[in-house]
Amino acid sequence: MFFNHLKIAWRSILKNKLFSFINVLGLSIGICSAMVIGAIVYFDFSFDTFHKEKDKIYRVTTVFESNGNHFSNRGVAVPLMRTFQEGMPGVELAAPFMSANFFKVENKPQDLTFKNIEDAIFADNAYFELLEYDWLAGDRKSALSNPAQVVLSEKKAQRYFPHTPVSDVVGKTLMFNDSVSVKVSGVVADFKQNSDFKFTDFMSLSSAKMFGAKDIVTNDHWNGTSSGDQLFFKVKDEAGVALVEARLKELAKEHKNMAEWAINDERTFMLQPLTSLHFGGEYGEYPFNNSNHVASIKVLKSLGFVALFLLLLGCANFINLNSAQALTRAKEIGIRKTLGSSKKQVVRQFLFETLILTCIAAVLSLVLAPLLLRQFTDFLPTDINLSILYSLKGAFGILVLIVLVSFLSGFYPAFVLSGFKPVLVLKGQFSKGDKGVRLRKTLTVFQFVVAQVFVIATLLVTKQLHYVMNKDMGLKTNATAYINTPWNDKSDVKKERLYNAVKDIQELSNVSWGGNPPASNNYSTTILTYFKEDAEMHQETQLLWGDVNYLNTYNIPLLSGRQMLNDSVKEYIVNEAFAREVGFQDPANVIGTFVKLDTLKIPVVGLMRDFHQHSLHTDIAPMAITGDWGDDDYSMFNSIHFDLGKNSENWTSSVKQIEQAWASIYPDEEVQVQFMDEIVEGFYRSERSTVQLLTWATGLSILISCMGLLGLVVYTTERRVKEIGVRKVLGANLAQLNMELSKEFLILIGIAFVISVPISWYLIQEWIQSFAFKTNLSWWVFLTSGFGMVLVALAVIGTRTYRAANVNPVESLRTE
Amino acid sequence: MLLQLNNIFKWVQSGGQRIFLLKDINLEVQEGEFISIMGPSGSGKSTLLNVIGMLDAFDEGEYHFLEDSVHDLKEKHRSNLYKEYIGFVFQQYHLLDDLTVQENLEMPLIYKKFKGSERKAMVADMLDRFNIVGKKDLFPSQLSGGQQQLVGIARALISNPKLILADEPTGNLNSKQGEEIMDLFKQLNDEGVTIIQVTHSEKNAEYGSRIINLLDGRMI
Repeated sequence: MFFNHLKIAWRSILKNKLFSFINVLGLSIGICSAMVIGAIVYFDFSFDTFHKEKDKIYRVTTVFESNGNHFSNRGVAVPLMRTFQEGMPGVELAAPFMSANFFKVENKPQDLTFKNIEDAIFADNAYFELLEYDWLAGDRKSALSNPAQVVLSEKKAQRYFPHTPVSDVVGKTLMFNDSVSVKVSGVVADFKQNSDFKFTDFMSLSSAKMFGAKDIVTNDHWNGTSSGDQLFFKVKDEAGVALVEARLKELAKEHKNMAEWAINDERTFMLQPLTSLHFGGEYGEYPFNNSNHVASIKVLKSLGFVALFLLLLGCANFINLNSAQALTRAKEIGIRKTLGSSKKQVVRQFLFETLILTCIAAVLSLVLAPLLLRQFTDFLPTDINLSILYSLKGAFGILVLIVLVSFLSGFYPAFVLSGFKPVLVLKGQFSKGDKGVRLRKTLTVFQFVVAQVFVIATLLVTKQLHYVMNKDMGLKTNATAYINTPWNDKSDVKKERLYNAVKDIQELSNVSWGGNPPASNNYSTTILTYFKEDAEMHQETQLLWGDVNYLNTYNIPLLSGRQMLNDSVKEYIVNEAFAREVGFQDPANVIGTFVKLDTLKIPVVGLMRDFHQHSLHTDIAPMAITGDWGDDDYSMFNSIHFDLGKNSENWTSSVKQIEQAWASIYPDEEVQVQFMDEIVEGFYRSERSTVQLLTWATGLSILISCMGLLGLVVYTTERRVKEIGVRKVLGANLAQLNMELSKEFLILIGIAFVISVPISWYLIQEWIQSFAFKTNLSWWVFLTSGFGMVLVALAVIGTRTYRAANVNPVESLRTE
Repeated sequence: MLLQLNNIFKWVQSGGQRIFLLKDINLEVQEGEFISIMGPSGSGKSTLLNVIGMLDAFDEGEYHFLEDSVHDLKEKHRSNLYKEYIGFVFQQYHLLDDLTVQENLEMPLIYKKFKGSERKAMVADMLDRFNIVGKKDLFPSQLSGGQQQLVGIARALISNPKLILADEPTGNLNSKQGEEIMDLFKQLNDEGVTIIQVTHSEKNAEYGSRIINLLDGRMI
């Protein structure tokens, strides 16, 4: 029986090559997207799942509330760490650590130097008690007990001490930051599974003060929160969570910031389970480290929906095509039934056929999956891959998928086919039955609704992207660029030399000193106090630092007032938004007023035109620009900004000259010229990947839907062959026949369009809310997409109706 | 006695009126008979054959097949009954286009749950008996009409039915092929198989031992 089924299935697949091809293709598009998206989702859910007692591990994070806005920080105030170390009810183990940056590590005996060490932390033994590492050398319990001890990851140990066995590394000495001599006290294996804990250098927590970092023992700064200071802990049992939360609430109250400007702000300590670490937090994202990939449940959900819809489309397609094929299979079933086949056996046979087609589709999907994945590499983490599909878990998943898809798509056709009455079929009366046409039409409408929604969404998202990318930012973004001076080299002399060297390059103009560029992802905010009618007003203000030439570099005009007198005078130039926010009807009137920063009274001397400081997701915020006068030790002027000039052919040579100048002054460092337009482009990275994803989903869904439509057209034209013959004999011409045949399909597409418009309008409306500046959801976009869909559908329909209309009526009427 | 029809009526409702397809059919068939059903188009020949073959239901009357009362049986028992005792031969042969001669012959056996080795032996037997061993791997489209009908009959016979129902078995054949097929039926009948055929041709009807004439659903 099994081989018989296999044989028949295989032959009928070969016999209807076009149908089988369309069937397999439709299914594999669905299955392939499900596989790729499944792999992506699995990847993001596979982070840090291997830790022992992972459900008991939490991180304390901080959420600030100010004027209804929430800001989150993955770090906590340092004294809170100490509080946990000293003992908290319900806490079994507290493991605080702080990020560390070492600019230099030397292995003196082997004469090796390593620069800019990232992924380093100050931690104590508790860290290694919390997360179980595989110790290759050293003692877990005491490795970080004393100052000047460091534990290295295996890979790092091999870098610092090449050709040295791990066991010999322990006890060796490294020189950190030119002055601190540190003993290696242990080597741990790097985590083999996916983890957000990617640290490679673990310096003992008690060494922090030797590097001028915050000292956990003495630090008393309850109101300072740095994202580098993280606090993990393990609860004793489930009841512990509530105890910790209650105590944290008390602590937040006890140590509230009583400064005048912060009196209305609220700070909450939140617990974040280890298992949700990879997905950011409730308020904004608090990713673990600076990894450029923060998984978002929302994104994964939308991906899941895309996969689901493509799968459903594939199944709908299959149902459509196969019940359309019923006419050709009907005879076979009739014969089988008169020969003694039961209904169940027919159902089984057809389900089996579906299963085979699905398996072929699955194999094809495995081949296509890497190609599809490659389309998305731009916005996926680099270490994502499809190896999961070839593992036991993946194989099981694929198996479930195959069975599910086979059942979904095979069930209905199998029951329709098996329900045929043999007498009717054998008498040739079957074609009069019109069973299931409504279902097939519904499925086609469903397919086209999905396709149409994707089309409209793609067009509108693209339109918005075009709008934000091309909107005038209010500053010069093309041809402007900047370089950052090395952060660990504070020598003013060298900086000045570099500045002069850059200034001497002929093609560059408007060279200026400054901090961040005017538009970036960085925020520096401060509270400026302003007196109005004797009342004090506190205005949150974003700050920029720049010399007197800075605004010229970026072509930001002064609307009134004057430039600052020099680069270090305590004066502000504010933007229009600031003036309006503090209450000036005419922004120009802000000039000549004073604002207070802490105790300093500073005059506002100029008014600059509003420009967009960040992406167009946010509004233009009150902003002030000032010179470099804050801290004697630390200059705010760390970047040199310049205009590369109109002639873009010279840019490469200019950049080369900058690099040469840099190399002569900072031979050990690398320079990176950052272009303003690239930074602006970077604002919309996720939107661009959305467009890419949508474009793919659109293409695939149109493809599948058209195949489904083709199935319906084939079915209908076959059913109406006789009618066409009669019409033709009575004098209908080709055009009339085509029109007659296409009419019912165009109605379906029309219905799909009507349904899809409100759905897509709603979805885009939701999406576009994240922008402060929105493009119009113009009616013509909807209309164009509907019109385009009709054209595509007509092309598909036409291929079949043309053929049907061309059949010689003598032939079509002779049958029967 | 093989089967007995008592007062069988079958009708369809059309425009508020009953149109009778079969009207008061009474028929008794003994084992070993060769019956020809004749009548003009639309007289109910095929319908009667389908009712006897249990492919079609009737609205009134009693139908006894061997010991069973067909009119009281459920669909499933009915299909078991005809699976076991009845073989069908069609005017259009109705072979499965996707299967070879050999596989077409094998199919009814599969549905009767014969083992693979038994099936092979029975198919080989039948190929031998009908002299079509050389054609066993051909598909129906590669055979002439007469050869296809030969396969059709072989397929009907393979599971040793008591009764063969043939609906104009020679209708699509030329006279020589038709004659061969009728000779074959005669021979089978001599071997003890009961046959009921529907035919238009007086000549073919002569092969039978009894002729039933139908007109407008009535036996005359």
